Amino acid sequence: MSSAPDLHATNRLIRKLESIASLSEAERQAIESLPVRIHKLNVRQDIVRDGDKPSHCCLIIDGWACRYKLLSQGKRQILSFHVPGDILDLQSLHVPTMDHSVGTLTKATVAFIPHESLRELTAHHSGIAAIFWRDTLIDAGIFREWLVSMGRRSAFEHVAHLFCELYLKLQAVGLAGNYRCPLPVTQADLADALGLTPVHINRVLQEMRGKTLITLRSSTLVIEAWNELLRVSEFDPTYLQLEKRATG
Amino acid sequence: MTLRLQPVQVATGSYDVDGQLVFADGFLTAVLVKLSGYHDDMAGMWFLEAGFGWVDTPTRPTFADLDAAQTWIEERLTCAA
Repeated sequence: MSSAPDLHATNRLIRKLESIASLSEAERQAIESLPVRIHKLNVRQDIVRDGDKPSHCCLIIDGWACRYKLLSQGKRQILSFHVPGDILDLQSLHVPTMDHSVGTLTKATVAFIPHESLRELTAHHSGIAAIFWRDTLIDAGIFREWLVSMGRRSAFEHVAHLFCELYLKLQAVGLAGNYRCPLPVTQADLADALGLTPVHINRVLQEMRGKTLITLRSSTLVIEAWNELLRVSEFDPTYLQLEKRATG
Repeated sequence: MTLRLQPVQVATGSYDVDGQLVFADGFLTAVLVKLSGYHDDMAGMWFLEAGFGWVDTPTRPTFADLDAAQTWIEERLTCAA
């Protein structure tokens, strides 16, 4: 299948980039004309593996994905969650060999964008190159927050912090609102992301429900007490560097 | 090596309160907790609530029964010896 422009795909990307920066009309048009190759993927399907040298970047259009590392005996550490609009492996444009894997967590539709096209885009539009750089820097900021949570937050605070982060990220790209957002991941996925066990995740979720902080049903997270969730996790959204700060 | 179990109530802050202290040659080496009905498909299984020394691991496993848990603990201690 050859690559061709796809407005639905590139609009996802534009929405994401506009959540962290401003785009000019010319920049928007340049992104819209990027050639992409659309793929429909199953749940838990690898997109790029540790050690691969991809020749394209992967944009999520629908569904969720993650970056992860595998250890022996099937031990998995999820490094980040990714939602529609995210480019999962933007760093592969400049760092050729993958040092981790990328895979879906749900059924997903993704768009592969050739490196060559992205290089051309950034060579002609320095503003877009700067926004891509900003995006990877924000990613690094998110990794720092995850590290703080992993090392210094209790299980309860850690889960609360993740929920605040996911809600704001999804809200910024128009996929959440009214303190409601999709959460299509399993307790085992959450455990692998937070360095906890599924048992601890289940206990924390029970406790959060008991305190009426959240409800979680049919893969939808409803935050019943936003301010309390912010307070317990000492959540400061600065690191997400969102253009329009969320209010609800 | 001889393992000995001793029933105990554990304050996990959840409904999982029935536990067993596990002693290896007289030394406390692990605390196992039976998972309550709130854990759906894991209910009734035994969770390594705490492990000491070589039994400590960040990816704490869950076991189908106490025999499986003791076998795993023995293996960890034997590898360390």
